[in-house]
Amino acid sequence: MEKTLAKKSFPQWVKALDSWTVYVPRKDDEGRWDFVRADGQETALDISQTTLPPKKILFPQREVFLEFRKTQAGNLETTEIKEVLPEVHPTVVIGARPCEARAAWLLDKVFGGEFQDIYYWKRREPTTLVGLACTPPPSDNCFCPSVEGSPHSEEGLDVLLTDLGDRYYVKSMTAKGEALISAAPKLFSEPSAEDQKRVKAAHAESEKQIKRQVKDARGISEKLKGMFDSPFWDEEAMSCLRCGICTYLCPSCHCFDINDEIETSSPLRGQRVRTWDTCQFPDFTMHSSGHNPRPDKASRLRQRLLHKFQYFVQVYGQIMCVGCGRCITLCPVGIDIIKVLDKVRQDGD
Amino acid sequence: METSVYTPQLAKIIQTKDEVVGPRAIKTFRTQFVNGGRLDFRCGQCAMLSVFGKGESMISISSSPLVKDYLQFSILRTGRVTAALHDMEAGDTIGIRGPYGNGFPIEEWRGKNLVFIGGGIGLAPLWSVVQTALLRKREFGALSLIYGARTSKDIVFKDELEELKDKMPVHLSIDVAEPDWKDFVGFVPTNVLDKKPSPTNTIAITCGPPIMIKFVIKNLKDLKFEDEQIYTTVENKMKCGIGKCGRCNIGFHYVCKDGPVYSWAELKKLPQEY
Amino acid sequence: MAKIDELKEEARKVLRDGTVKYIIGYGNGTNGWPAAPIFVKKPEDVDRFIWDPTCVHNLVRFLIDEKRRKARQKQPDKRPVGIFVKGCDSRAIVVLLQEKFIERSDVYILGVSCEKAGVVDAAKLSKKLAGKMPKRVELDDQNRFVVTTESGKIEAAADELLAERCRECPANFPVIYDVLSGEKVKRTPDKPYGSLEKIESLSAEERWTFWKAQLDKCIRCYACRSACPMCYCDECVVDSINLAVTADTTADEKAQRIRWVQRSAESSENFVYHLVRAMHLAGRCIDCGECERVCPLDIPLRFLNKKLEKEAKELFGYDVGFDASLPALISCFRDEDPQDFIR
Repeated sequence: MEKTLAKKSFPQWVKALDSWTVYVPRKDDEGRWDFVRADGQETALDISQTTLPPKKILFPQREVFLEFRKTQAGNLETTEIKEVLPEVHPTVVIGARPCEARAAWLLDKVFGGEFQDIYYWKRREPTTLVGLACTPPPSDNCFCPSVEGSPHSEEGLDVLLTDLGDRYYVKSMTAKGEALISAAPKLFSEPSAEDQKRVKAAHAESEKQIKRQVKDARGISEKLKGMFDSPFWDEEAMSCLRCGICTYLCPSCHCFDINDEIETSSPLRGQRVRTWDTCQFPDFTMHSSGHNPRPDKASRLRQRLLHKFQYFVQVYGQIMCVGCGRCITLCPVGIDIIKVLDKVRQDGD
Repeated sequence: METSVYTPQLAKIIQTKDEVVGPRAIKTFRTQFVNGGRLDFRCGQCAMLSVFGKGESMISISSSPLVKDYLQFSILRTGRVTAALHDMEAGDTIGIRGPYGNGFPIEEWRGKNLVFIGGGIGLAPLWSVVQTALLRKREFGALSLIYGARTSKDIVFKDELEELKDKMPVHLSIDVAEPDWKDFVGFVPTNVLDKKPSPTNTIAITCGPPIMIKFVIKNLKDLKFEDEQIYTTVENKMKCGIGKCGRCNIGFHYVCKDGPVYSWAELKKLPQEY
Repeated sequence: MAKIDELKEEARKVLRDGTVKYIIGYGNGTNGWPAAPIFVKKPEDVDRFIWDPTCVHNLVRFLIDEKRRKARQKQPDKRPVGIFVKGCDSRAIVVLLQEKFIERSDVYILGVSCEKAGVVDAAKLSKKLAGKMPKRVELDDQNRFVVTTESGKIEAAADELLAERCRECPANFPVIYDVLSGEKVKRTPDKPYGSLEKIESLSAEERWTFWKAQLDKCIRCYACRSACPMCYCDECVVDSINLAVTADTTADEKAQRIRWVQRSAESSENFVYHLVRAMHLAGRCIDCGECERVCPLDIPLRFLNKKLEKEAKELFGYDVGFDASLPALISCFRDEDPQDFIR
């Protein structure tokens, strides 16, 4: 279904979505963008890049798996556990970038498969992603076409909005997306032939505006197979602080930890909780004996690159990086994944 | 009713046995599900044991799948969760979820001789295959066990090994000589060279500390075992057990899901990062 | 702006003579921030070193990595490591020497003075450039920052773009060095804790609201801890990390280790993490501002540490990072220490 929506009608549309929980991007006083709950203050979507991708809505930093407790009745001690499945209200995220939705599409593969992760799906299924085509690209470090994405990709999205100046071109790809349009049908108009021409032009233009690229990502993926033992990684990882920013802000990173958090120890009551974790922390792979398969930064940087660009390709046939550039923009020491990949490509030449 | 794969079933410990006491304590637990729970598994698969309030630990199931009355686990006391387990007694409740992992391909081994090579706690993952092979004796060729520990006190399944001597050759060893010790003295890999298992129609299955596995494999190769004839299990830190949290990722495998059992032919293709 | 030609000559010499293993300094960045830490091993690469107001990083952090690297090697190379330091960074080295974390012979210090100004604040610069990436930042003779972007040059008075900590800096030239570039321009800021005034004027209730809103943003990426040169503990109290585990650590030791802070990024846990970390830095933090700079959620962490630095000065007359022979603040006492907290 394809429609247009006047920009001045955008706030009304958001208001009409009152049977959904709506997330929109908002800028704070310091100029930082984030996805927050809509509260009637929306005007339009002239956003750049949010610090945290919408992955935080599908896969929150903290999630309760189950509650446990021990109760005492006389001499008898019973253990009870109660699963805590998230009850998620139908949700709409407006303003997700195509790369972030593509990352959700990749995460679907990780959390699906033989063992379905019900916590993820309970959030993913009722969530409708409304994307905003990147005209212009939100960051100087974007490189999505190099990793098989595009600034107007529809992968993982239910609706794609394209900014046409005074209005949005609205394309709905799924039933979930159409339901949003049906919430306020009067606000939408039929697109004219001119609109359709302009959308195509805007999309073509947006591809040209992407500033950075990685040449031959698939070739690099193949080449990485043979680079496990290369001293290359020691050089690149020298300045890494092993902080976790690159992985926590990455739309497609998904490593997590599971811990028991105790509220009271006697009687025992607590929760089993999932939190974000990162392969960059030194104790991520450390065994109880102290043996650590990845004791140094070089092996951990290598793990990140190989997992994103080689292992994932081998298992799912897709490059796991979506080219959003956050890791480049926010790395405190300027480790630039594009440069590292370029060096891989040229290594040994 | 949908239920999360992360939610364990409740089980009671019905029996505990101290295999080894002291700083490297090992204890064997037998568990039974409460509330009608069950867990069907294959040899070599593991389960996540929960001590509520402490956490979870991935332990291989050491009883045979043909034994339906209980699940058996032998656990080394090494950290927060395992120390809490060791403090538990018969009647206490834990959580169990599983089975996880690929298990040993024992159907492919029918008609072949099986040589089990274990060190320390490494006998526990092998034990389910040993028991199953004994119960299905006619389907397999000759069985033998080469097993060693640091000292005679560190040997697990002491009583069971005595019984086993009537059923198959059992070659024991300890690292350093002791006054009453009559069997081999030396490391397990050296014992392997001493006992010279024949590679003809034989599968060797080994488990133990990483350094032992490395040298056992080397010595088996020297004895002309092919890569496809050597099997081992890999240990790695695990949390989810289902190939999602990323912790046990080696190459394009998750050890919890695509392993932990590997033939040397498969394992040497993965990055040696374990 | 100081010129580092002499330092580069020195660097070339020590690398050629092999007296120094490698040198940590500033080079050109690629991700939109003009400077990044670089590690130079060969004398011919010495020309990669730069010095300008975007050299904000505290390179002393990498001395911790060096120590860990040596600990992992069977036969470590014991030669010193060269390092470029600003005034603030040099005080971090002093603290590490005080605590005997490193020896003086482990470092070959190439000091650079900030002269009349300091470094730029990334957030202020971003606001000024309306989100555009800076390509180059220079300080001219009139003490103005000249910023080059894709679309041209912008000028601003130093004060407008200077990092807050530079305005309050008590030592804008290195207090310890082997070679020094630039003039030692002594500065006594008239408001050494001016940036705290706004928060200090808030009531307790308002301060709680402020910090709750800020710390609720925290995702516990631990970048603040990873960037701090003084956070070198292998066993960090505010985390489940315990890198000090060896094959000899008993099960009991591991089992009995208390989890003071959970991994969840909940209000209570975030508060405890940040406040305890600030307490552990009392009398040790030299206000390099890295914690605040690296935070992806822009939490104003510097305030916490600066406040404790102020208390250290006002209550105990303790100046952090000037005298390597002084004991650490929290591990000593004098008879004259104030006692009015005893009622």
